[in-house]
Amino acid sequence: MMSSWLDYTINGLIVGNVYALVAVGLALIFGVSRLINFAQGSIYLVGAYIGWVAVVQLHTPLPLTIIIVAAASALVGLIIERFGLRPLQNSVRIAPLLATIGISFVLDQLVMLTFSPNPRALPSQLPDVRFQVGGGTIGPLDLLIAGVGLTSALLLFVFLRYSKLGWAIRATAQDRDAAMQMGVDVNRVNQAVFGIAAALGGVSGLLVGMYYNQIDTAMSLQATLKGVVAEVVGGAGNVPGAVIGSLLLGLVESYGVAVFGTSYRNLFAFLLLVVVLVLRPNGLFASARQAPPEPLTGTFIAPSRPVRIPRWALLVAAAIFAILPFFPVSFYVLQTLINAWLLGMLALSLTLVAGTIGQVSLGHAALLAIGAYTSALLSLTFAIPVGLAIIGGGLMSAALGTALISPSFRLRGHYVSIATLAIGEIVSLVILNWESVTRGPIGISGIPPLSLFGYELVSPTSIYWFSFIVMVVLALLQARLLGSHLGRSFRAIRDDDIAARAYGLSLNRYKSLAFIFGGFAAGISGGIAAHLYSYINHETFNTQQSILALTVVILGGLGNVVGAIVGAVALVGLPEVFRIAAEYRILIYGIVLLLLVRFRPQGLLGTM
Amino acid sequence: MSNIDRRTLVKGSLAAAIAGTALSRAAFADTSEPILLGVSGPLTGPNAQYGTQWKQGFDLALDDILAGGGINGRKLAYSFEDSQSDPRQSVAIAQKFVSDPRIVLELGDFSSPASMAASPIYQRAGLVQFGFTNSHPDFTKGGDFMWSTSVSQADEQPLLAAYAVKKLGLKKLAVLHLNTDWGRTSRDYFVNAAKEYGAEIAITEGYIAEERDFRSTLVRVRDANPDGLILISYYSDGALIARQARQVGLKQVICAASSVYSPKFLELGGEAVEDVHVGTRYFPEDPRPEVQKFIAGFKKKYNGLEPDAFNAYAYDAMNMAAAVVKIGGTDRRAVRDAFMKVKDVPSVIFGAATFDVASRRVKGAMNAELVVRKGQFALWDGKPT
Repeated sequence: MMSSWLDYTINGLIVGNVYALVAVGLALIFGVSRLINFAQGSIYLVGAYIGWVAVVQLHTPLPLTIIIVAAASALVGLIIERFGLRPLQNSVRIAPLLATIGISFVLDQLVMLTFSPNPRALPSQLPDVRFQVGGGTIGPLDLLIAGVGLTSALLLFVFLRYSKLGWAIRATAQDRDAAMQMGVDVNRVNQAVFGIAAALGGVSGLLVGMYYNQIDTAMSLQATLKGVVAEVVGGAGNVPGAVIGSLLLGLVESYGVAVFGTSYRNLFAFLLLVVVLVLRPNGLFASARQAPPEPLTGTFIAPSRPVRIPRWALLVAAAIFAILPFFPVSFYVLQTLINAWLLGMLALSLTLVAGTIGQVSLGHAALLAIGAYTSALLSLTFAIPVGLAIIGGGLMSAALGTALISPSFRLRGHYVSIATLAIGEIVSLVILNWESVTRGPIGISGIPPLSLFGYELVSPTSIYWFSFIVMVVLALLQARLLGSHLGRSFRAIRDDDIAARAYGLSLNRYKSLAFIFGGFAAGISGGIAAHLYSYINHETFNTQQSILALTVVILGGLGNVVGAIVGAVALVGLPEVFRIAAEYRILIYGIVLLLLVRFRPQGLLGTM
Repeated sequence: MSNIDRRTLVKGSLAAAIAGTALSRAAFADTSEPILLGVSGPLTGPNAQYGTQWKQGFDLALDDILAGGGINGRKLAYSFEDSQSDPRQSVAIAQKFVSDPRIVLELGDFSSPASMAASPIYQRAGLVQFGFTNSHPDFTKGGDFMWSTSVSQADEQPLLAAYAVKKLGLKKLAVLHLNTDWGRTSRDYFVNAAKEYGAEIAITEGYIAEERDFRSTLVRVRDANPDGLILISYYSDGALIARQARQVGLKQVICAASSVYSPKFLELGGEAVEDVHVGTRYFPEDPRPEVQKFIAGFKKKYNGLEPDAFNAYAYDAMNMAAAVVKIGGTDRRAVRDAFMKVKDVPSVIFGAATFDVASRRVKGAMNAELVVRKGQFALWDGKPT
């Protein structure tokens, strides 16, 4: 048994190595730009495919392959920095985050269109010798990956500490304006950082692809997720910390598998993240002297002048949508709008939590899932009428969601997003593993259709009205809330939590109130979806949903009630409008998203 | 509420009926237009590769159908809508298809959440949802418009268990399965059958689809001391597990479900998949004419590419759709009824496919016991590995 523990330890370190390659790049960018680069996984993907071209088509030897991949990926990084992010440097802090999401859509789609989504083999160019270690073996690629991870971390550390450009990078990281006053060319610093991080990202994609002898277009999001976890565990922006965080993550996963089994693996990864965030929000290896990673006051979400829409215009718009089914519109249009109303409810929830009180959540789909499962199980197991079951789903989502998020109330800025991302994954994995209640991967089928007072709502028209009315009621409630004393307190906490606290506001209580209200709206949306779909499982409400919800909210304008609904209609509608473009539609969608962020970073209707 | 609701329902169905008759008349009048099938499946997103494979299978079948004179002289065509295997999009696509009078039958979707979320819409509108990869036991319970040629795992897994236990003589098994509705259902049928045949199940491990690293899982497997590994996997994860099993020094016999049957499994697995046993529904040297026609046609159309299991499912599904539409014509209800009438459609997977009307599935999948020899799938010669 002892030997097995040695094996688990070695395996944990090996996979930790793999995570480290991505985490180091993320840490470097975060260290300088205070930006979680969601496109890092896409650069990793691009690197893997460039590597495939080099190895399989051009038959380059390994050192040359690495140089080609590093150079090409660095070029991609420079392009991203120059055209995707630099134009946004004076806009809201959250705009670059959204831009990296858009860039990752575009890059992933370009790779998929060029190389087809079929997985490919990426043969290792190293001799196939294996060394016996414990009960297993390691190969030369394991050593190379470890070597690249450690060397790059070490080189970066030395470079940041002792070279002139490194000083400039660190100065920019600490205080961008002060660095500029001292004559640091901030743009050049950003370029250098993105180039280095992208080269590293590309090479890691190549090496990991060789390690598994497999590359496919789905590897991008997974790499980003694990990289972000590892980076934050080690201390965001801390390059050597990212390596240690990665190894720790690998070990925790491996021991998790050892004790509880394979299906619990990611549960441990994300639990580790939440525990670290709650106990040591700056990561395990942040030094006491280090400047706080987020500004003390809320520049994360800069207020802007919201677009004032006259009341009559809103009434007219609402009336048009209300009577729409009387016109000859197809059921397809109605169904698309039903999807928009359901996403609108989720966006209302998120815009309150993220926009009004400043807790940018990346795990909002979990609230949908809690609402959906509660409502489905209440109506199936206890034969509770569907209308009441949906309200039950809303209440459960409000209660459970708030309880789950409450340990991370002390976090700020990006850390809230990462904690909620982890909580979202944890909820999904609990649903997968808690079979006695959720029926695990088999999912829940035969969920009764929507009904109200004994009448089934099955025609698209009636479902349309039902979801539209529910959304409008939730929106009116939220608008009323924002106009009240409570709404002002929320915004005060978002804009300056220290001042708010000095004024006597209890932050935790107000944050709880926001999550209770937001959880309710999201739970209702999930509940309706469950009865609409008749079948749900752990994959129905996934990470992509959370990212989509955040995109909607940022696009509409943070905290903006009408904006959330406009954003939902736009982001449900655009991919449908682009259907004509078949395989190209997500690419076009990504480009449109980028353009919107570029020219309207405060959102279509502005931050409230 | 109820009043409005009923009125709209009546109005809606009246309008649909009028539109329906008007259109079917128009459709019969215009025979130059192709008969259209709707396909809802992933062309982008994490499952995009399967949508691409479907297309290859469909297109090959359509060539054959056209060469054989089409559907009573008319061309058969499909409209492929990308759902990303996302239930939100598959329900919108469902409304699009049911309100498009040209569509006579729908194929797909790929994943259970996307397919089964759309089922109520197809059922209420009376358009057949022909889910040819939907093995979820509840899929066809969605209503009498849900039909499936997906091999029932209740059929497939006992065959695999018989191969592993009775033929290969394995007595103590480790089962690794995708932790999805398909993998879970398959695992349960496999475990029951294997126990019935007298084997012991040492350990079962479920993993999520995005998993790449199996080394720690394989340590658990090693400690359970099995004499065989059973993979209920798709080809990409199956290849990863086989590679890592050999890398960590596990030398046990590996026996995998038919879903790994793909040239990609050989490409991705390399030397590690040598001697892996695979229970499949057909094999390249299979003398059955439908198999030979399929493989030869596929290689010719796609530059020598070997077809895989998903290509075969799609090819069979399109041929089945053609056979059904030949009987049922362009009336949706008649198409549904045609599923009950259609008999012995030549099929790569089933040999001759006839639906069991009660379960709306096809029983009696073919069985072939293959092993990877010298980097190729070959019929198992009965020799131990």
